[in-house]
Amino acid sequence: MASIRLSSLSKRFGQVTAVDRLELLIPDKEFVALLGPSGCGKTTTMNMIAGIERPTEGRILFDDRDIQNLPPSRRDVGFVFQNYAIFTHMTVYENLAFGLRVRKLPRTEIDRRVREMASLMRLDNRLDWLSAKLSVNELQKVAIGRSAITEPAIFLLDEPLSNLDAAFRAFMRTELKHLQHQFQQTMVYVTHDQIEAMSLADRIAVMNLGVLQQYGSPAEVYNQPRNTFVANFMGSPSMNLLPCSAVENNGVPALSFGEVGMLSLAQDDALLRRFRTAQAPSLVFGARPEDMEITTSDNDAGLAATVTFVEPIGPRTVVHLDMGGKTIKIAKEKRFPIGIGSRVNVVPPRGKCHLFDAESGAALGLE
Amino acid sequence: MTATTATEGKHRRGKKPGVTPLEAEGLRLGFLMSLPAQLLLLFIVVFPLLMQVYVSLTYWGPLDGESWIYAYSSLNWFDNYGELFADGRFWGSIGRTLLIVVVCVPIEFLLGLGLATLFVDRFPGRRIFYSILLTPMMIVPAVAGYMFFMMFQSTGPLNDLFSRITGLTVDFVWLSDNDLAIVAVMIADIWQWTPLMFLILLAGMMGVPEDQLKAATLLGANAWQRFWRIVLPKMKMVMIIALVLRAVECFKIFDLLFVMTKGGPGIQTESISLYIYKLTFADLEWSYVAALGLFMLIALSLLAWVGLVAMQRAQARAQAPGGAEA
Repeated sequence: MASIRLSSLSKRFGQVTAVDRLELLIPDKEFVALLGPSGCGKTTTMNMIAGIERPTEGRILFDDRDIQNLPPSRRDVGFVFQNYAIFTHMTVYENLAFGLRVRKLPRTEIDRRVREMASLMRLDNRLDWLSAKLSVNELQKVAIGRSAITEPAIFLLDEPLSNLDAAFRAFMRTELKHLQHQFQQTMVYVTHDQIEAMSLADRIAVMNLGVLQQYGSPAEVYNQPRNTFVANFMGSPSMNLLPCSAVENNGVPALSFGEVGMLSLAQDDALLRRFRTAQAPSLVFGARPEDMEITTSDNDAGLAATVTFVEPIGPRTVVHLDMGGKTIKIAKEKRFPIGIGSRVNVVPPRGKCHLFDAESGAALGLE
Repeated sequence: MTATTATEGKHRRGKKPGVTPLEAEGLRLGFLMSLPAQLLLLFIVVFPLLMQVYVSLTYWGPLDGESWIYAYSSLNWFDNYGELFADGRFWGSIGRTLLIVVVCVPIEFLLGLGLATLFVDRFPGRRIFYSILLTPMMIVPAVAGYMFFMMFQSTGPLNDLFSRITGLTVDFVWLSDNDLAIVAVMIADIWQWTPLMFLILLAGMMGVPEDQLKAATLLGANAWQRFWRIVLPKMKMVMIIALVLRAVECFKIFDLLFVMTKGGPGIQTESISLYIYKLTFADLEWSYVAALGLFMLIALSLLAWVGLVAMQRAQARAQAPGGAEA
């Protein structure tokens, strides 16, 4: 078992900086997701931990031991590739046995452990199949089983679920969580799917353009995004971000959204506290689609908007609105009886609003 | 496994009852497109073959002064074939040819494999060395033969080199020595044809999926285990192709020998091709050559067939629907 510490880790490919001075501590037995869009450096980070890529700068420590010069085969790291990299010329049995055979374990023990893993992964009746004949779902199970069988201290998974169909993906998510509890390994999980990250991980490291944006529990990352990138990336549909400016309205601090309207901060202490830490008048206001309310009554409490599109998706309805040229989305629980073209008022949720500095994108007033 | 191959073969050959109109159209088009080639083949393969069979059953030769059509006047049925089995020089030449194949092809294979392993990774100067390595293959075999003919002269550079290294006077008469002559020829063949092996095997090795090699590394396999358990099994087909190709080519060895030794000293380096050449142009035993050629054709066809079956088995294993022995 091992913790992983990445210390000012950088990787440059020519002029491109894939990972930029990354600082990350992954505690022992934790499930950490590296989350970010394509090209954010998450896979490169993973490859450096595994030893497939050599860092340009910085250090990687397993349990405070620098592993810079340890070859990948001796790092005791299990790695599940995005495309599984199953040995197609071997049977499922031979695939599962590979890691044990190269360690020259006794035949009987290999056989016992392969059968154990096969039954755990529900691959019993596939053992003597050539792996080239397996379905994608089965390949996935072989890939995980093949790495798990050697009981590595650290388990790295590179977008392992991205090729699966939706139903099996949901099933594997649960399965992976079970596996981690069973093996008690440190797991690092690369994904661009924030739902996967939210549901699986103990901690999420959000990355963009090689830079770590935020590192924290799923709840923290979701509820207290450190900047507009994280705010925008987490959640589906993503957080509504509206440029605004700080003003005073009859002696009361307020946010001005131009022609759309004004938001008085008198009744929202949390927002007011965030507002007070602002350095510049130009800000970005954020609120989650789930939290916002729509009213058709003509009071002054909200911001004016026009319904442009209503998207019923199963249990929810996502209402698209045009607010002074910007599109915002609001998610409502059930069917939402409102027509396209209706003029409505949008009411931000009290106590659940975010405020960011417009220039740096950094969140204001975080503890 | 054999059963699977057999049924697959039957499927391919027999006209399936359920040929779709689309398939039928394809078959028709294929037939028409290949018709000229088939007719040509009929003329350049089937006719000479039949002629050869006919001539091989007679004593006909160029000194008879008769057209081959009247060869039946010296019909002897299977005398030529009987003679063939008693012909020590024939069997000797076969033995020598096989010896060359058995020594050269594996050495070329191993050298080629080693070089391919080296060249599959990037290193500075890789392209230049690659081009240099492939040069011998491009040289006309007769020229290569002449080159080695000079190298192996008793006053040639090779003896000179050995003399300088050992400090003794080395003067092997390579090409006139009963045992050394064939060694010299083998060295020339290996020099010339290792590049081809290297080229084929390198192509095969490049085709081994990188991610599977990475996966093997991360599962704890060292370089040797990766090579043995991933690279080699993945290259099985390519290896069989390379070996069969080279074995067949090497069996026909002629030009190097012709230039370097002419089969000498005596008949110490006489290959089957060289023997047939001498029979044809020196001894003018044309009907005997016809019989000999047919015999060789049948023998080589059998060999090729064995190779093909091995290949099909390998393929069948790779394509078996699920089932395969662990």
